[in-house]
Amino acid sequence: MKPVKIAMMSLTHGHTRKYYQTLRENSKLDWVASCAENQDAKTVYELYKTGVPCYLSAEEMFQKHPEIEAVVLASANEKHMEQVRFCAEHGIHILSMKIPTFDKGEYDEMIQVCKKAGVVCQVELEMHYNPVVHRLKKLLADGAIGKILALQATNITLSPVWAFPWQGDPKASYGKTMKLKEGDPRFRGGALCDHPHIFDLIRWLTGADFDYVYAAVAPNLRPDIIVEDMLLANGKMTDGTAFLFDPSWSRLEERLKVPGPGWEIFPKRMEVNLTITGEKGVLACDCFGPNVYHNGAPRDRYAVQYTYFDEWVGLIDEFVDCIRNHKQPQINLGWHKQTIQAMNACYESIASGKIARVME
Amino acid sequence: MNIKKMNEGLAFLTEKYSVPVGKIFMGADDVVKVQDGAGQETILLPWRVERRFVELKKMVTGKILEGVSTLRFCSITPGGNLRKQLEREFDLAVWLMDVPLKTLFAVCSKDLSAANIVAKLQNDYNFSLECSNKLPQGSEVIDRHEIIARRGVASDRVVDSQVPQSSIYMYNDKGEQRYTDVDSELFGLSTDEIWLVRAAFAVLDKPALSKIWNAAAAQMSVYAKAVFESDQTMLPQSF
Repeated sequence: MKPVKIAMMSLTHGHTRKYYQTLRENSKLDWVASCAENQDAKTVYELYKTGVPCYLSAEEMFQKHPEIEAVVLASANEKHMEQVRFCAEHGIHILSMKIPTFDKGEYDEMIQVCKKAGVVCQVELEMHYNPVVHRLKKLLADGAIGKILALQATNITLSPVWAFPWQGDPKASYGKTMKLKEGDPRFRGGALCDHPHIFDLIRWLTGADFDYVYAAVAPNLRPDIIVEDMLLANGKMTDGTAFLFDPSWSRLEERLKVPGPGWEIFPKRMEVNLTITGEKGVLACDCFGPNVYHNGAPRDRYAVQYTYFDEWVGLIDEFVDCIRNHKQPQINLGWHKQTIQAMNACYESIASGKIARVME
Repeated sequence: MNIKKMNEGLAFLTEKYSVPVGKIFMGADDVVKVQDGAGQETILLPWRVERRFVELKKMVTGKILEGVSTLRFCSITPGGNLRKQLEREFDLAVWLMDVPLKTLFAVCSKDLSAANIVAKLQNDYNFSLECSNKLPQGSEVIDRHEIIARRGVASDRVVDSQVPQSSIYMYNDKGEQRYTDVDSELFGLSTDEIWLVRAAFAVLDKPALSKIWNAAAAQMSVYAKAVFESDQTMLPQSF
């Protein structure tokens, strides 16, 4: 199979550096170029010494590299609409970061332009390529604990706002500036916008849709950011599954401008755990454990060193397969729409203090 | 649960420490109580004397944690009464923070074997509670109590662990056996029995606890009832 000529755009997303290894090592890809959102992003990019040229203009990059077939949109959420339009117009396949947009109108336009252009638009939800999740799906499909009755999940991390400021900017993250609720000085755009995985996973695991959600914000751990960092959500799926989610930034971090060792204050900087009660038993799952542990440099602080990386490999493998074989990825724009609706419903519930229905 | 053994343990402690005697008994609705010499009955809240929770509370009162935001609790048991589980966990949250609940919103499984709750304390802290009683019979309880603050996260579970640890793991031809002994003076009682005896002892030693604990038990019953009300009505409940 001919390698896909791929580029990266913007380079301001928290997952950007995770792609560097995969894009270099995967023989199904030929990483030809990158373009940075600004000089700061370019300066950070150059620290990684990828050897791949980096431009400050998307137009220049595509002009100099007309062979580009696909891009990784590693950008702030507010940039995605214009970038998707551009790529669709130029017949370029898209691997979008996990939130294409929170705006319903924009979302529907993204679906239409991609469909009209016949380009693949895959949404980056890498948990599906994690081997623990693979086992989890298999156990549940095999009926190991019977029908799911209740599901609790965490998708908690440190906050990336110091390295990627757009994630603390309501307009850049949520798409517009909207207060969380009456009497609260904070805005939509924080931790919830960064943590869609569990909203997506529950749909796969139950096979059901969201019925309603209820959500509540807590006092920020970071009083100097203007978006939410601590929240909880619960609700029910259409099959009656009672769920409880924690999508917070509940693990504190050193305020590094460039992520790296010593970033974490809490030992485990990222967690996706599930506890599932079924008719016939209970299952507890740590999608990122066990690991290795140390308290050495740079801060002599006890820290988790993760041992998982497979998910980026599988995600790119699927992307290439869909491009070359004209297929739809499992996490496509159409599938992902309800996940975004559920997350928006959480914000509505926070504002109203009541449940919010998810489906139109 | 062996009431006779528990009372023997209680008698040992009250004699050793010259504390007025009393008797543990099972009251109506399987509520374990202690009765003192004057006939006063107190509902026992053993988690309030359990060492791990005592230490967690000290982290709050001793300001090892600063700027608490959220509590995250989990209780998964092999069978049992969901309402009692809820009562215990609500009381733990309220006692650890010394702040009552303000609101809760709950969703329960159809068979009422599981409940997932998002609540707020009166001081605006968030509190999540995940309860289920679907572990197979004979399983060890899986629980977790985490307090998340601006300075520090405290928990009775180690980072990166999902289940409780034991002190001793033994492997022989009978397979794996595990032991966790927490009390030398009451060695031989089960963990649940130990904390019930210690709770009874605490009440006999400090009779003022009787009124406090009975009131707390009444309040947590209100909270637990509100869980089912919230699930049925799909409305948050306020207190």
